[in-house]
Amino acid sequence: MKRAIDIPTAVAGELTKENNASPSSSRWQPVLRKMASVLVGLSYNLLGFVGLIGFWYFISLITKGELPGPKATSVVFLELISDPFYDYGPNEKGIALQLFSSLSRVFTGFLLGSFIAIPIGVLMGSNSFCRKVFYPIVQILKPVSPLAWFPIGLVAFQSASHATVFIIVITSLWPTLINTSFGVASIPDDHKNVAKAFGFSRWKYLTKVLIPYSLPHMITGLRLSIGVAWLVIVAGEMLSGGMGIGFFVWDSWNALSLERVISAILIIGLVGLLLDWGFSYLEKKVTYSI
Amino acid sequence: MSYLKIENMEIAFHTLKGKFVAVNDINLEVEKGQIISIIGHSGCGKSTIMNAIGGMVFPTKGKVVLNGKEIKGPGPDRGIVFQNYSLLPWLTVYQNIFEAVDAALKNKSKAEKHEVVEKYLKMVNLWEHREKYPKQISGGMKQRVAIARAFAIDPEVLLLDEPFGALDALTKASLHIELLKLWNLTHRSKTIVMVTHDIEEAVFLSDRIVVMNNGPAATIREIEEVNLPRPRNKKDTVNLPEYRTIRERLLSLLVEKVALEESEFYKEEEKAA
Repeated sequence: MKRAIDIPTAVAGELTKENNASPSSSRWQPVLRKMASVLVGLSYNLLGFVGLIGFWYFISLITKGELPGPKATSVVFLELISDPFYDYGPNEKGIALQLFSSLSRVFTGFLLGSFIAIPIGVLMGSNSFCRKVFYPIVQILKPVSPLAWFPIGLVAFQSASHATVFIIVITSLWPTLINTSFGVASIPDDHKNVAKAFGFSRWKYLTKVLIPYSLPHMITGLRLSIGVAWLVIVAGEMLSGGMGIGFFVWDSWNALSLERVISAILIIGLVGLLLDWGFSYLEKKVTYSI
Repeated sequence: MSYLKIENMEIAFHTLKGKFVAVNDINLEVEKGQIISIIGHSGCGKSTIMNAIGGMVFPTKGKVVLNGKEIKGPGPDRGIVFQNYSLLPWLTVYQNIFEAVDAALKNKSKAEKHEVVEKYLKMVNLWEHREKYPKQISGGMKQRVAIARAFAIDPEVLLLDEPFGALDALTKASLHIELLKLWNLTHRSKTIVMVTHDIEEAVFLSDRIVVMNNGPAATIREIEEVNLPRPRNKKDTVNLPEYRTIRERLLSLLVEKVALEESEFYKEEEKAA
């Protein structure tokens, strides 16, 4: 009865009746409902994966084991992740070490690329002269396949590992650059007029108008860029060799272990998903609502 | 020599279709501390005149002179209240005013600036809402923030571009009072130029009303003097005979047909039958 004191009397009777029947049911109801909706969502996901694994199984049956089936692959997969940190020399490293090596390259390239892309994007978005100068260059360089840059990287840096970072830089540049310049170019006149009318300094305009307005666009660009970087690293490391998840795929293919290749594909997909989640979380954080 | 003077002003814009003259042959003199309304139909260049005073657009002929100096750009001596509030959505009510004050009042200390923001927020009764974001407050409150922001930089001239256009009638009426209150609190020393298409609003607030012809190349049609006594209030002022005379005069200038003629009325009925 004590708990019902604040509740308007019309509803209070009803509530206390319920409380008497099962005191904790109303408190747990929202939690249960949430869990139910999560379970429903998971069951859809499960349905998709069961379908995919079934299809995979079917293909492996009709190719008579040329393509390893789910069972054979899962044995290798478990073996891989049971000892991810082993290190038996330059060509024999655990999957986690390979992943770290790839991720560190991806982030180095991605960060360098962003440091170049964001300022140029801001310039292109805010200044029509810069837009006219840079836009044709962007248009021509953007569609070039990352692998075409590899020889240039090799010549420039004399090192396959640096060349890989270089191709990450050059390909993860564009989405951030284009989104940033779009965000900056679309700042409404209303906001610019406020800055003009009250005499905002350049710095104040940058920090209080330009960046807050275009930050969501920038983060969307960064999210696309990290996706591209993660796509490119596998191809890059196949060329560069030495270490990394891409090299692991290539090495496994040479060792004729398709089970390992498929396991690597799974891991690459999962890591890509995690990266995307991270950035979409950031995206939601910085998006202001009007 | 008057305080604010517009001389033979023409403002034209270059568009893809060639030169577009927005306003032409504008001559206007405003005394310090006056409230002036510019009224006219949409597209008659009212806002263009105001933007020229604000220094946001420049005359293609003639000039705007404030305090003996020709206007060359925006400045902290003029505070602008924009048509659609123009608050920055990622800043709170407090920050919106503070950033403007911070930018405009360069030779004040941080503490003095915070005092100014507090004073004006309290004047418009928004102190309790200072931590809210623009999307969390009503249209009337947003416009009060915008007005407080314009007053807070202590400008000599206030420019109001259809400030109450988007508000409902009740909110509008209370904001009229709010505006006059702020004007009184600053000793009626601030010159206010307001653009509106609301006749009642123009008569109630102004000392003079500039009636515009229709654009393009709009010109001033007539300037009405409003000699209603101040302080004005909604209850008594609107019942004064002079209020009605000026309102009628403006109606006849701006609205071609004030009433539906009987003959037309019957025609409509016949059609219906």
